[in-house]
Amino acid sequence: MKGQQDHQGYVPVSRTAAPTHRRGVAGGRLRRVSGIALYTLLSFYAFCNLYPLFWMVSNSFKNNQEIFVRNVFGLPRIWRFENYIKAWQSFNIFLYFKNSMIVATATVVITLMLSIMFAYATARMSWKLSSIARIYMSIGMFVPVQVIFIPLVLLIRDFHLSNSYLALIVPYVAFQLSFCSIVFYGFFRTLPPELEEAAAIDGANVYVTFYRIILPLVKPAIATLAIFVFLFSWNEFAIALIMISNNSLKTLPLGLLLFQGQFATDWGAMGASLALASIPTIVVYLLFGNEVEKALTVGSAVKG
Amino acid sequence: MLHNKLNDRIAIAVFTLPAVVLFTTVVVYPVLKTVYTSLLDWDGLSQPSFMMFGNYMRLFGDPDFHLAVKNGLIFAAVLVIYQIGLGSVFALILSNRRIAGKRFFRTAYFVPVVLSITVVCQLWLSIFNADRGLLNNLFHALGLTYRQSWLSSGKTAIVSVAFVNAWQYLGIHFSLIYAAIKSIPDHYYEAALIDGASSFTAHCKITIPLLAETYRFCLIIAITGGLKAFENMYIMTGGGPGNLTYTLTYLIYKAAFRMNQYGYACASASVLLLQCLVFTVLINRLIAHERVTY
Repeated sequence: MKGQQDHQGYVPVSRTAAPTHRRGVAGGRLRRVSGIALYTLLSFYAFCNLYPLFWMVSNSFKNNQEIFVRNVFGLPRIWRFENYIKAWQSFNIFLYFKNSMIVATATVVITLMLSIMFAYATARMSWKLSSIARIYMSIGMFVPVQVIFIPLVLLIRDFHLSNSYLALIVPYVAFQLSFCSIVFYGFFRTLPPELEEAAAIDGANVYVTFYRIILPLVKPAIATLAIFVFLFSWNEFAIALIMISNNSLKTLPLGLLLFQGQFATDWGAMGASLALASIPTIVVYLLFGNEVEKALTVGSAVKG
Repeated sequence: MLHNKLNDRIAIAVFTLPAVVLFTTVVVYPVLKTVYTSLLDWDGLSQPSFMMFGNYMRLFGDPDFHLAVKNGLIFAAVLVIYQIGLGSVFALILSNRRIAGKRFFRTAYFVPVVLSITVVCQLWLSIFNADRGLLNNLFHALGLTYRQSWLSSGKTAIVSVAFVNAWQYLGIHFSLIYAAIKSIPDHYYEAALIDGASSFTAHCKITIPLLAETYRFCLIIAITGGLKAFENMYIMTGGGPGNLTYTLTYLIYKAAFRMNQYGYACASASVLLLQCLVFTVLINRLIAHERVTY
Protein backbone atom coordinates (compact mmCIF):
# COMPACT_ATOMS: atom_id res chain seq x y z
CA MET A 1 0.00 0.00 0.00
CA LYS A 2 2.67 2.43 1.01
CA GLY A 3 4.80 1.44 -1.97
CA GLN A 4 1.96 2.23 -4.27
CA GLN A 5 1.50 5.69 -2.84
CA ASP A 6 5.18 6.35 -3.20
CA HIS A 7 5.03 5.22 -6.75
CA GLN A 8 2.18 7.51 -7.63
CA GLY A 9 3.83 10.37 -5.89
CA TYR A 10 7.07 9.94 -7.80
CA VAL A 11 5.84 9.53 -11.34
CA PRO A 12 5.46 13.20 -12.22
CA VAL A 13 8.85 14.01 -10.71
CA SER A 14 10.69 11.45 -12.77
CA ARG A 15 8.94 12.63 -15.91
CA THR A 16 9.84 16.25 -15.54
CA ALA A 17 13.03 16.44 -13.61
CA ALA A 18 14.94 13.34 -14.61
CA PRO A 19 14.19 12.15 -18.11
CA THR A 20 17.37 10.07 -18.25
CA HIS A 21 16.13 8.03 -15.31
CA ARG A 22 13.38 6.46 -17.38
CA ARG A 23 12.39 3.02 -16.17
CA GLY A 24 15.69 1.20 -16.80
CA VAL A 25 16.69 -1.20 -14.04
CA ALA A 26 19.33 0.71 -12.13
CA GLY A 27 18.50 3.52 -14.46
CA GLY A 28 21.21 6.08 -15.22
CA ARG A 29 22.93 6.31 -18.56
CA LEU A 30 25.75 3.86 -19.05
CA ARG A 31 28.94 5.78 -18.97
CA ARG A 32 31.23 4.91 -21.85
CA VAL A 33 33.97 3.37 -19.73
CA SER A 34 31.73 1.19 -17.64
CA GLY A 35 29.78 0.28 -20.79
CA ILE A 36 32.93 -1.00 -22.44
CA ALA A 37 33.91 -2.89 -19.31
CA LEU A 38 30.50 -4.56 -19.06
CA TYR A 39 30.41 -5.57 -22.72
CA THR A 40 33.94 -6.94 -22.44
CA LEU A 41 32.94 -9.05 -19.47
CA LEU A 42 29.77 -10.34 -21.13
CA SER A 43 31.56 -11.08 -24.38
CA PHE A 44 34.43 -12.81 -22.66
CA TYR A 45 32.12 -15.26 -20.96
CA ALA A 46 30.07 -15.78 -24.12
CA PHE A 47 33.36 -16.66 -25.77
CA CYS A 48 34.21 -19.10 -22.94
CA ASN A 49 30.89 -20.81 -23.58
CA LEU A 50 30.84 -20.82 -27.35
CA TYR A 51 34.47 -21.39 -28.24
CA PRO A 52 34.66 -24.95 -26.82
CA LEU A 53 31.63 -25.81 -28.95
CA PHE A 54 33.20 -24.19 -32.00
CA TRP A 55 36.41 -26.10 -31.28
CA MET A 56 34.46 -29.36 -31.07
CA VAL A 57 32.77 -28.77 -34.42
CA SER A 58 35.94 -27.63 -36.16
CA ASN A 59 37.82 -30.65 -34.79
CA SER A 60 35.18 -32.84 -36.32
CA PHE A 61 36.46 -31.77 -39.75
CA LYS A 62 40.16 -32.18 -38.97
CA ASN A 63 42.55 -35.09 -38.66
CA ASN A 64 44.73 -35.69 -35.61
CA GLN A 65 47.74 -34.01 -37.22
CA GLU A 66 45.82 -30.77 -37.56
CA ILE A 67 44.11 -30.96 -34.16
CA PHE A 68 47.27 -31.63 -32.19
CA VAL A 69 50.02 -29.79 -33.96
CA ARG A 70 49.43 -27.76 -37.04
CA ASN A 71 46.16 -25.97 -36.51
CA VAL A 72 45.00 -26.24 -32.95
CA PHE A 73 42.66 -23.28 -32.65
CA GLY A 74 41.18 -22.29 -35.99
CA LEU A 75 38.87 -23.53 -38.71
CA PRO A 76 40.03 -26.66 -40.56
CA ARG A 77 42.20 -26.03 -43.63
CA ILE A 78 40.82 -29.06 -45.42
CA TRP A 79 37.26 -29.98 -44.55
CA ARG A 80 37.31 -33.70 -43.90
CA PHE A 81 33.75 -34.89 -44.14
CA GLU A 82 35.03 -38.45 -43.94
CA ASN A 83 35.01 -38.07 -40.14
CA TYR A 84 31.25 -37.84 -40.27
CA ILE A 85 31.00 -40.81 -42.60
CA LYS A 86 33.19 -42.81 -40.24
CA ALA A 87 31.15 -41.75 -37.21
CA TRP A 88 27.88 -42.48 -38.99
CA GLN A 89 29.01 -45.92 -40.10
CA SER A 90 30.66 -47.24 -36.97
CA PHE A 91 28.62 -45.37 -34.39
CA ASN A 92 25.12 -46.74 -34.61
CA ILE A 93 23.69 -43.31 -34.15
CA PHE A 94 20.33 -44.02 -35.72
CA LEU A 95 19.66 -46.80 -33.23
CA TYR A 96 20.51 -44.60 -30.24
CA PHE A 97 18.41 -41.76 -31.63
CA LYS A 98 15.49 -44.13 -32.00
CA ASN A 99 15.89 -45.48 -28.45
CA SER A 100 16.18 -42.00 -26.95
CA MET A 101 13.22 -40.81 -28.94
CA ILE A 102 10.98 -43.69 -27.83
CA VAL A 103 11.97 -43.38 -24.18
CA ALA A 104 11.69 -39.58 -24.12
CA THR A 105 8.34 -39.47 -25.90
CA ALA A 106 6.77 -42.13 -23.72
CA THR A 107 8.13 -40.45 -20.59
CA VAL A 108 6.70 -37.07 -21.60
CA VAL A 109 3.24 -38.43 -22.39
CA ILE A 110 2.86 -40.57 -19.27
CA THR A 111 4.41 -38.04 -16.88
CA LEU A 112 2.21 -35.21 -18.08
CA MET A 113 -0.96 -37.30 -17.95
CA LEU A 114 -0.38 -38.57 -14.44
CA SER A 115 0.83 -35.29 -13.00
CA ILE A 116 -1.94 -33.18 -14.52
CA MET A 117 -4.59 -35.49 -13.10
CA PHE A 118 -2.92 -35.60 -9.71
CA ALA A 119 -2.41 -31.83 -9.58
CA TYR A 120 -6.00 -31.24 -10.64
CA ALA A 121 -7.36 -33.34 -7.81
CA THR A 122 -5.12 -31.70 -5.20
CA ALA A 123 -5.62 -28.14 -6.45
CA ARG A 124 -9.30 -28.00 -7.33
CA MET A 125 -11.19 -30.71 -5.49
CA SER A 126 -11.75 -30.49 -1.77
CA TRP A 127 -10.91 -33.59 0.21
CA LYS A 128 -9.38 -34.18 3.56
CA LEU A 129 -5.97 -35.54 2.60
CA SER A 130 -5.36 -33.30 -0.38
CA SER A 131 -2.55 -31.18 1.07
CA ILE A 132 -0.89 -34.23 2.60
CA ALA A 133 -1.01 -35.96 -0.77
CA ARG A 134 0.53 -32.91 -2.41
CA ILE A 135 3.38 -32.69 0.08
CA TYR A 136 3.95 -36.44 -0.12
CA MET A 137 4.32 -36.21 -3.88
CA SER A 138 6.86 -33.37 -3.61
CA ILE A 139 9.30 -35.52 -1.59
CA GLY A 140 10.67 -36.77 -4.90
CA MET A 141 12.27 -33.37 -5.52
CA PHE A 142 14.75 -34.00 -2.74
CA VAL A 143 15.67 -37.64 -3.32
CA PRO A 144 18.84 -38.09 -5.37
CA VAL A 145 18.32 -40.98 -7.74
CA GLN A 146 21.63 -42.54 -6.70
CA VAL A 147 20.18 -43.16 -3.24
CA ILE A 148 17.84 -45.79 -4.63
CA PHE A 149 20.16 -47.39 -7.20
CA ILE A 150 20.04 -50.84 -5.62
CA PRO A 151 16.34 -51.15 -4.73
CA LEU A 152 15.47 -49.74 -8.16
CA VAL A 153 17.49 -52.36 -9.99
CA LEU A 154 15.92 -55.11 -7.87
CA LEU A 155 12.44 -53.68 -8.38
CA ILE A 156 12.79 -53.54 -12.15
CA ARG A 157 14.13 -57.10 -12.12
CA ASP A 158 11.25 -58.34 -9.97
CA PHE A 159 8.74 -56.81 -12.37
CA HIS A 160 10.61 -58.50 -15.27
CA LEU A 161 11.26 -55.19 -16.96
CA SER A 162 15.06 -55.49 -17.13
CA ASN A 163 16.50 -54.60 -20.52
CA SER A 164 13.36 -53.11 -21.93
CA TYR A 165 12.35 -49.53 -22.62
CA LEU A 166 10.11 -49.69 -19.56
CA ALA A 167 13.18 -50.15 -17.34
CA LEU A 168 13.91 -46.50 -18.18
CA ILE A 169 10.45 -45.08 -18.71
CA VAL A 170 9.03 -46.21 -15.36
CA PRO A 171 11.77 -44.59 -13.19
CA TYR A 172 11.90 -41.48 -15.38
CA VAL A 173 8.17 -40.93 -14.99
CA ALA A 174 8.25 -41.58 -11.26
CA PHE A 175 11.10 -39.11 -10.75
CA GLN A 176 9.55 -36.36 -12.86
CA LEU A 177 6.12 -36.66 -11.22
CA SER A 178 7.05 -34.52 -8.21
CA PHE A 179 8.26 -31.54 -10.13
CA CYS A 180 5.49 -31.60 -12.74
CA SER A 181 2.77 -32.00 -10.10
CA ILE A 182 4.07 -28.99 -8.20
CA VAL A 183 4.17 -26.81 -11.30
CA PHE A 184 0.70 -27.86 -12.48
CA TYR A 185 -0.64 -27.35 -8.98
CA GLY A 186 0.59 -23.76 -9.03
CA PHE A 187 -0.99 -23.30 -12.42
CA PHE A 188 -4.37 -24.74 -11.43
CA ARG A 189 -4.53 -22.49 -8.41
CA THR A 190 -4.44 -19.41 -10.62
CA LEU A 191 -7.62 -20.38 -12.49
CA PRO A 192 -10.88 -18.87 -11.17
CA PRO A 193 -13.02 -21.27 -9.07
CA GLU A 194 -16.17 -20.42 -11.03
CA LEU A 195 -15.04 -22.57 -13.94
CA GLU A 196 -16.22 -25.84 -12.46
CA GLU A 197 -19.36 -24.33 -10.98
CA ALA A 198 -20.45 -23.09 -14.38
CA ALA A 199 -19.73 -26.45 -15.93
CA ALA A 200 -21.62 -28.27 -13.16
CA ILE A 201 -24.66 -26.06 -13.73
CA ASP A 202 -24.51 -27.04 -17.40
CA GLY A 203 -24.66 -30.63 -16.23
CA ALA A 204 -21.11 -31.69 -17.12
CA ASN A 205 -19.58 -34.32 -14.84
CA VAL A 206 -16.10 -33.95 -13.40
CA TYR A 207 -14.32 -35.88 -16.16
CA VAL A 208 -15.94 -33.90 -18.95
CA THR A 209 -15.18 -30.66 -17.14
CA PHE A 210 -11.56 -31.68 -16.71
CA TYR A 211 -11.12 -32.73 -20.31
CA ARG A 212 -13.11 -30.01 -22.08
CA ILE A 213 -12.59 -26.97 -19.87
CA ILE A 214 -9.55 -27.34 -17.66
CA LEU A 215 -7.08 -29.08 -19.98
CA PRO A 216 -7.24 -26.43 -22.73
CA LEU A 217 -6.50 -23.75 -20.13
CA VAL A 218 -3.25 -25.31 -18.98
CA LYS A 219 -1.81 -25.77 -22.48
CA PRO A 220 1.03 -23.27 -21.88
CA ALA A 221 2.17 -25.18 -18.82
CA ILE A 222 1.89 -28.45 -20.73
CA ALA A 223 4.12 -27.12 -23.51
CA THR A 224 6.72 -25.87 -21.06
CA LEU A 225 6.85 -29.05 -19.02
CA ALA A 226 6.81 -31.26 -22.10
CA ILE A 227 10.08 -29.66 -23.19
CA PHE A 228 11.53 -29.93 -19.70
CA VAL A 229 10.71 -33.63 -19.32
CA PHE A 230 11.84 -34.33 -22.87
CA LEU A 231 15.26 -32.77 -22.31
CA PHE A 232 15.62 -34.59 -19.00
CA SER A 233 14.90 -38.02 -20.43
CA TRP A 234 16.89 -37.38 -23.60
CA ASN A 235 20.00 -36.53 -21.60
CA GLU A 236 19.54 -38.75 -18.55
CA PHE A 237 22.61 -40.83 -17.79
CA ALA A 238 22.72 -42.48 -14.35
CA ILE A 239 19.54 -44.57 -14.50
CA ALA A 240 20.26 -45.58 -18.09
CA LEU A 241 23.73 -46.70 -17.00
CA ILE A 242 22.53 -49.09 -14.32
CA MET A 243 19.39 -50.35 -16.09
CA ILE A 244 20.47 -51.10 -19.63
CA SER A 245 23.24 -53.55 -20.44
CA ASN A 246 21.88 -54.58 -23.83
CA ASN A 247 23.62 -52.48 -26.49
CA SER A 248 20.60 -52.40 -28.78
CA LEU A 249 18.53 -50.64 -26.10
CA LYS A 250 21.03 -48.00 -25.06
CA THR A 251 20.04 -44.36 -25.28
CA LEU A 252 22.19 -41.67 -26.85
CA PRO A 253 24.30 -40.61 -23.84
CA LEU A 254 25.37 -44.22 -23.26
CA GLY A 255 25.77 -45.14 -26.90
CA LEU A 256 28.02 -42.15 -27.27
CA LEU A 257 30.18 -43.35 -24.41
CA LEU A 258 30.52 -46.75 -26.04
CA PHE A 259 31.67 -45.11 -29.25
CA GLN A 260 34.15 -42.91 -27.38
CA GLY A 261 35.75 -46.03 -25.97
CA GLN A 262 36.40 -47.42 -29.43
CA PHE A 263 37.60 -44.20 -31.03
CA ALA A 264 39.54 -42.68 -28.15
CA THR A 265 42.53 -41.94 -30.36
CA ASP A 266 40.68 -40.58 -33.38
CA TRP A 267 39.71 -37.09 -32.24
CA GLY A 268 38.19 -36.12 -35.57
CA ALA A 269 35.69 -38.97 -35.63
CA MET A 270 35.05 -38.42 -31.93
CA GLY A 271 34.25 -34.74 -32.56
CA ALA A 272 31.95 -35.76 -35.40
CA SER A 273 29.99 -38.13 -33.18
CA LEU A 274 29.70 -35.50 -30.44
CA ALA A 275 28.45 -32.94 -32.95
CA LEU A 276 25.94 -35.38 -34.45
CA ALA A 277 24.62 -36.30 -31.02
CA SER A 278 24.14 -32.63 -30.10
CA ILE A 279 22.14 -31.63 -33.16
CA PRO A 280 18.65 -32.64 -31.91
CA THR A 281 18.70 -30.75 -28.62
CA ILE A 282 20.42 -27.72 -30.14
CA VAL A 283 17.75 -27.60 -32.84
CA VAL A 284 15.01 -27.91 -30.22
CA TYR A 285 16.64 -25.09 -28.28
CA LEU A 286 17.03 -22.78 -31.24
CA LEU A 287 13.43 -23.40 -32.33
CA PHE A 288 11.82 -23.13 -28.91
CA GLY A 289 14.51 -21.13 -27.12
CA ASN A 290 12.14 -19.09 -25.00
CA GLU A 291 10.03 -22.09 -24.12
CA VAL A 292 13.08 -24.12 -23.13
CA GLU A 293 14.36 -21.41 -20.82
CA LYS A 294 10.92 -20.99 -19.35
CA ALA A 295 10.72 -24.75 -18.94
CA LEU A 296 13.96 -24.86 -17.05
CA THR A 297 13.14 -21.85 -14.92
CA VAL A 298 9.59 -22.76 -13.97
CA GLY A 299 11.40 -24.04 -10.95
CA SER A 300 11.43 -20.49 -9.66
CA ALA A 301 7.68 -20.75 -9.24
CA VAL A 302 8.12 -23.91 -7.23
CA LYS A 303 9.24 -23.86 -3.64
CA GLY A 304 6.52 -24.76 -1.31
CA MET B 1 -26.29 -35.82 -2.10
CA LEU B 2 -24.80 -39.01 -0.77
CA HIS B 3 -24.54 -40.28 -4.29
CA ASN B 4 -22.60 -37.15 -5.27
CA LYS B 5 -20.13 -37.64 -2.42
CA LEU B 6 -19.42 -41.16 -3.59
CA ASN B 7 -18.93 -39.94 -7.13
CA ASP B 8 -16.48 -37.34 -5.90
CA ARG B 9 -14.53 -39.94 -4.02
CA ILE B 10 -14.29 -42.13 -7.07
CA ALA B 11 -13.17 -39.18 -9.17
CA ILE B 12 -10.47 -38.27 -6.67
CA ALA B 13 -9.22 -41.84 -6.66
CA VAL B 14 -9.19 -41.98 -10.46
CA PHE B 15 -7.21 -38.75 -10.65
CA THR B 16 -4.68 -39.35 -7.90
CA LEU B 17 -4.13 -43.09 -7.53
CA PRO B 18 -2.12 -43.76 -10.70
CA ALA B 19 0.45 -41.12 -9.75
CA VAL B 20 0.51 -42.01 -6.05
CA VAL B 21 0.88 -45.76 -6.67
CA LEU B 22 3.68 -45.31 -9.20
CA PHE B 23 5.50 -42.76 -7.04
CA THR B 24 5.20 -44.90 -3.92
CA THR B 25 6.43 -48.05 -5.65
CA VAL B 26 9.31 -46.54 -7.57
CA VAL B 27 10.53 -43.72 -5.30
CA VAL B 28 9.28 -43.93 -1.71
CA TYR B 29 9.44 -47.67 -1.19
CA PRO B 30 13.00 -47.91 -2.59
CA VAL B 31 14.13 -45.08 -0.28
CA LEU B 32 12.86 -46.98 2.74
CA LYS B 33 14.41 -50.15 1.40
CA THR B 34 17.77 -48.41 1.01
CA VAL B 35 17.72 -47.38 4.65
CA TYR B 36 16.70 -50.90 5.69
CA THR B 37 19.30 -52.59 3.47
CA SER B 38 21.99 -50.39 4.99
CA LEU B 39 21.54 -52.42 8.17
CA LEU B 40 22.15 -55.72 6.38
CA ASP B 41 25.19 -57.70 5.43
CA TRP B 42 24.19 -58.61 1.90
CA ASP B 43 25.88 -59.32 -1.43
CA GLY B 44 22.64 -59.38 -3.40
CA LEU B 45 22.66 -63.15 -3.87
CA SER B 46 22.99 -65.04 -0.61
CA GLN B 47 20.70 -64.78 2.39
CA PRO B 48 21.08 -61.31 3.95
CA SER B 49 21.96 -61.16 7.65
CA PHE B 50 21.11 -58.32 10.00
CA MET B 51 24.10 -56.45 11.37
CA MET B 52 22.71 -53.17 12.77
CA PHE B 53 25.22 -50.37 12.28
CA GLY B 54 28.09 -52.54 11.09
CA ASN B 55 28.06 -51.00 7.62
CA TYR B 56 28.12 -47.50 9.07
CA MET B 57 31.00 -48.37 11.39
CA ARG B 58 32.96 -49.66 8.44
CA LEU B 59 31.96 -46.64 6.37
CA PHE B 60 33.08 -44.09 8.95
CA GLY B 61 36.41 -45.86 9.22
CA ASP B 62 36.92 -45.99 5.46
CA PRO B 63 39.38 -43.34 4.19
CA ASP B 64 37.56 -43.41 0.83
CA PHE B 65 34.42 -42.28 2.61
CA HIS B 66 36.12 -39.28 4.20
CA LEU B 67 37.57 -38.30 0.86
CA ALA B 68 34.18 -38.79 -0.80
CA VAL B 69 32.42 -36.52 1.69
CA LYS B 70 35.13 -33.90 1.32
CA ASN B 71 34.95 -34.06 -2.48
CA GLY B 72 31.16 -33.77 -2.40
CA LEU B 73 31.47 -30.58 -0.36
CA ILE B 74 34.16 -29.20 -2.66
CA PHE B 75 31.97 -30.02 -5.65
CA ALA B 76 29.01 -28.23 -4.06
CA ALA B 77 31.16 -25.22 -3.16
CA VAL B 78 32.45 -24.90 -6.73
CA LEU B 79 28.89 -24.98 -8.05
CA VAL B 80 27.67 -22.38 -5.57
CA ILE B 81 30.52 -19.96 -6.19
CA TYR B 82 30.66 -20.35 -9.95
CA GLN B 83 27.00 -20.75 -10.86
CA ILE B 84 25.33 -18.45 -8.36
CA GLY B 85 28.20 -15.94 -8.26
CA LEU B 86 28.77 -15.56 -11.99
CA GLY B 87 25.10 -16.18 -12.75
CA SER B 88 24.17 -13.20 -10.56
CA VAL B 89 26.78 -10.94 -12.12
CA PHE B 90 25.63 -11.67 -15.67
CA ALA B 91 21.94 -11.51 -14.77
CA LEU B 92 22.40 -8.10 -13.11
CA ILE B 93 24.33 -6.72 -16.06
CA LEU B 94 21.87 -8.04 -18.63
CA SER B 95 18.87 -6.74 -16.72
CA ASN B 96 20.07 -3.23 -17.55
CA ARG B 97 17.89 -1.96 -20.38
CA ARG B 98 20.71 -0.18 -22.07
CA ILE B 99 22.64 -3.34 -22.75
CA ALA B 100 22.12 -4.41 -26.36
CA GLY B 101 22.34 -7.94 -27.71
CA LYS B 102 20.54 -9.56 -24.77
CA ARG B 103 19.15 -12.36 -26.92
CA PHE B 104 22.65 -13.32 -28.07
CA PHE B 105 24.19 -13.32 -24.60
CA ARG B 106 21.34 -15.25 -23.04
CA THR B 107 21.53 -17.88 -25.75
CA ALA B 108 25.31 -18.14 -25.41
CA TYR B 109 25.07 -18.61 -21.65
CA PHE B 110 22.31 -21.15 -21.87
CA VAL B 111 23.33 -23.37 -24.75
CA PRO B 112 25.51 -25.88 -22.84
CA VAL B 113 22.53 -26.72 -20.60
CA VAL B 114 20.72 -28.49 -23.40
CA LEU B 115 23.71 -30.63 -24.40
CA SER B 116 24.06 -34.20 -23.25
CA ILE B 117 26.33 -34.55 -20.24
CA THR B 118 28.32 -37.17 -22.17
CA VAL B 119 29.04 -34.66 -24.92
CA VAL B 120 30.15 -32.00 -22.46
CA CYS B 121 32.34 -34.38 -20.48
CA GLN B 122 34.02 -35.77 -23.60
CA LEU B 123 34.57 -32.28 -24.90
CA TRP B 124 36.24 -31.16 -21.69
CA LEU B 125 38.26 -34.36 -21.54
CA SER B 126 39.89 -33.29 -24.77
CA ILE B 127 40.22 -29.70 -23.59
CA PHE B 128 41.90 -30.82 -20.35
CA ASN B 129 44.08 -33.43 -22.06
CA ALA B 130 47.58 -32.93 -20.69
CA ASP B 131 49.56 -33.44 -23.90
CA ARG B 132 47.24 -32.29 -26.64
CA GLY B 133 44.41 -30.50 -24.92
CA LEU B 134 43.16 -27.06 -25.86
CA LEU B 135 43.92 -25.55 -22.48
CA ASN B 136 47.59 -26.47 -22.30
CA ASN B 137 47.97 -25.56 -25.98
CA LEU B 138 46.47 -22.19 -25.17
CA PHE B 139 49.02 -21.57 -22.42
CA HIS B 140 51.73 -22.66 -24.81
CA ALA B 141 50.49 -20.29 -27.53
CA LEU B 142 50.44 -17.44 -25.02
CA GLY B 143 54.06 -18.23 -24.25
CA LEU B 144 53.32 -19.42 -20.72
CA THR B 145 54.94 -22.47 -19.26
CA TYR B 146 51.92 -23.07 -17.05
CA ARG B 147 51.00 -26.61 -18.08
CA GLN B 148 48.88 -28.77 -15.84
CA SER B 149 47.77 -32.36 -15.92
CA TRP B 150 44.32 -31.09 -15.00
CA LEU B 151 42.55 -34.37 -14.40
CA SER B 152 45.38 -36.52 -13.16
CA SER B 153 46.92 -34.34 -10.51
CA GLY B 154 45.57 -34.62 -6.99
CA LYS B 155 45.38 -30.88 -6.51
CA THR B 156 43.31 -29.98 -9.56
CA ALA B 157 41.32 -33.12 -10.41
CA ILE B 158 38.16 -32.68 -8.33
CA VAL B 159 37.98 -28.94 -8.98
CA SER B 160 38.43 -29.46 -12.72
CA VAL B 161 35.66 -32.06 -12.78
CA ALA B 162 33.36 -29.84 -10.72
CA PHE B 163 34.17 -26.92 -13.00
CA VAL B 164 32.84 -28.84 -16.01
CA ASN B 165 29.50 -29.34 -14.27
CA ALA B 166 29.45 -25.71 -13.14
CA TRP B 167 30.23 -24.54 -16.68
CA GLN B 168 27.51 -26.67 -18.23
CA TYR B 169 24.68 -25.66 -15.90
CA LEU B 170 25.50 -22.01 -15.19
CA GLY B 171 22.71 -21.15 -17.64
CA ILE B 172 20.02 -22.54 -15.36
CA HIS B 173 21.04 -20.32 -12.46
CA PHE B 174 21.57 -17.36 -14.74
CA SER B 175 18.05 -17.75 -16.17
CA LEU B 176 16.45 -18.21 -12.75
CA ILE B 177 18.07 -15.08 -11.38
CA TYR B 178 17.48 -13.11 -14.58
CA ALA B 179 13.77 -14.00 -14.59
CA ALA B 180 13.49 -13.01 -10.93
CA ILE B 181 15.17 -9.62 -11.50
CA LYS B 182 12.87 -8.97 -14.45
CA SER B 183 9.86 -9.51 -12.22
CA ILE B 184 10.83 -6.73 -9.80
CA PRO B 185 8.64 -3.68 -10.53
CA ASP B 186 10.46 -0.70 -12.01
CA HIS B 187 9.14 1.85 -9.57
CA TYR B 188 11.29 0.32 -6.85
CA TYR B 189 14.30 1.58 -8.74
CA GLU B 190 12.81 4.89 -9.71
CA ALA B 191 12.38 5.68 -6.07
CA ALA B 192 15.96 4.74 -5.26
CA LEU B 193 17.41 6.68 -8.17
CA ILE B 194 15.54 9.79 -7.31
CA ASP B 195 16.95 9.49 -3.83
CA GLY B 196 20.34 9.62 -5.52
CA ALA B 197 21.42 5.99 -5.24
CA SER B 198 23.97 4.64 -7.73
CA SER B 199 22.99 1.57 -9.69
CA PHE B 200 25.43 -0.48 -7.63
CA THR B 201 23.82 0.63 -4.37
CA ALA B 202 20.38 0.09 -5.86
CA HIS B 203 21.25 -3.51 -6.67
CA CYS B 204 22.78 -4.16 -3.26
CA LYS B 205 19.91 -2.61 -1.37
CA ILE B 206 16.95 -3.54 -3.58
CA THR B 207 17.62 -6.32 -6.05
CA ILE B 208 19.60 -8.76 -3.93
CA PRO B 209 17.24 -8.73 -0.90
CA LEU B 210 14.23 -9.18 -3.18
CA LEU B 211 15.87 -12.21 -4.73
CA ALA B 212 16.05 -14.08 -1.43
CA GLU B 213 13.56 -16.73 -2.52
CA THR B 214 15.28 -17.28 -5.83
CA TYR B 215 18.63 -17.58 -4.09
CA ARG B 216 17.15 -20.10 -1.70
CA PHE B 217 16.06 -22.25 -4.60
CA CYS B 218 19.37 -21.79 -6.44
CA LEU B 219 21.33 -22.72 -3.32
CA ILE B 220 19.32 -25.88 -2.83
CA ILE B 221 19.78 -27.08 -6.38
CA ALA B 222 23.46 -26.10 -6.47
CA ILE B 223 24.36 -27.76 -3.18
CA THR B 224 22.30 -30.93 -3.61
CA GLY B 225 23.43 -30.98 -7.26
CA GLY B 226 27.04 -30.97 -6.09
CA LEU B 227 26.46 -33.64 -3.46
CA LYS B 228 24.73 -35.98 -5.88
CA ALA B 229 26.97 -35.35 -8.91
CA PHE B 230 27.93 -38.63 -10.48
CA GLU B 231 28.13 -38.56 -14.28
CA ASN B 232 31.08 -36.18 -14.41
CA MET B 233 33.22 -38.49 -12.27
CA TYR B 234 32.03 -41.60 -14.04
CA ILE B 235 32.80 -40.31 -17.52
CA MET B 236 35.83 -38.14 -16.91
CA THR B 237 37.94 -39.75 -14.22
CA GLY B 238 36.38 -43.03 -13.11
CA GLY B 239 36.98 -41.82 -9.58
CA GLY B 240 40.70 -41.53 -10.25
CA PRO B 241 43.53 -40.79 -10.19
CA GLY B 242 43.53 -43.50 -7.54
CA ASN B 243 40.55 -42.55 -5.42
CA LEU B 244 41.05 -38.79 -5.56
CA THR B 245 37.76 -37.90 -7.25
CA TYR B 246 35.56 -40.31 -5.32
CA THR B 247 32.24 -38.90 -4.20
CA LEU B 248 29.49 -40.59 -2.22
CA THR B 249 27.60 -41.33 -5.42
CA TYR B 250 30.65 -42.94 -6.94
CA LEU B 251 31.18 -44.93 -3.75
CA ILE B 252 27.59 -46.16 -3.98
CA TYR B 253 28.00 -47.14 -7.61
CA LYS B 254 31.26 -48.94 -7.02
CA ALA B 255 30.16 -50.81 -3.91
CA ALA B 256 26.89 -51.84 -5.52
CA PHE B 257 27.79 -52.75 -9.07
CA ARG B 258 31.49 -53.52 -8.99
CA MET B 259 31.84 -55.19 -5.58
CA ASN B 260 28.31 -56.43 -4.87
CA GLN B 261 28.35 -55.03 -1.35
CA TYR B 262 24.71 -54.02 -1.25
CA GLY B 263 24.52 -53.26 2.45
CA TYR B 264 27.64 -51.11 2.34
CA ALA B 265 26.42 -49.27 -0.76
CA CYS B 266 23.07 -48.57 0.90
CA ALA B 267 24.83 -47.21 3.99
CA SER B 268 26.64 -44.61 1.88
CA ALA B 269 23.39 -43.93 0.02
CA SER B 270 21.68 -43.24 3.34
CA VAL B 271 24.43 -40.81 4.30
CA LEU B 272 23.97 -39.03 0.96
CA LEU B 273 20.23 -38.81 1.53
CA LEU B 274 20.76 -37.41 5.01
CA GLN B 275 23.25 -34.83 3.69
CA CYS B 276 20.80 -33.60 1.08
CA LEU B 277 17.97 -33.39 3.60
CA VAL B 278 20.07 -31.52 6.15
CA PHE B 279 21.22 -28.94 3.60
CA THR B 280 17.70 -28.48 2.22
CA VAL B 281 16.21 -27.95 5.68
CA LEU B 282 19.06 -25.64 6.74
CA ILE B 283 18.76 -23.45 3.66
CA ASN B 284 14.99 -23.29 4.04
CA ARG B 285 15.42 -22.24 7.67
CA LEU B 286 18.10 -19.65 7.04
CA ILE B 287 16.86 -17.86 3.95
CA ALA B 288 13.63 -16.15 2.98
CA HIS B 289 11.30 -17.02 5.76
CA GLU B 290 8.73 -14.59 4.57
CA ARG B 291 7.41 -14.72 1.08
CA VAL B 292 8.23 -11.61 -0.93
CA THR B 293 5.24 -9.99 -2.57
CA TYR B 294 5.21 -6.89 -4.68
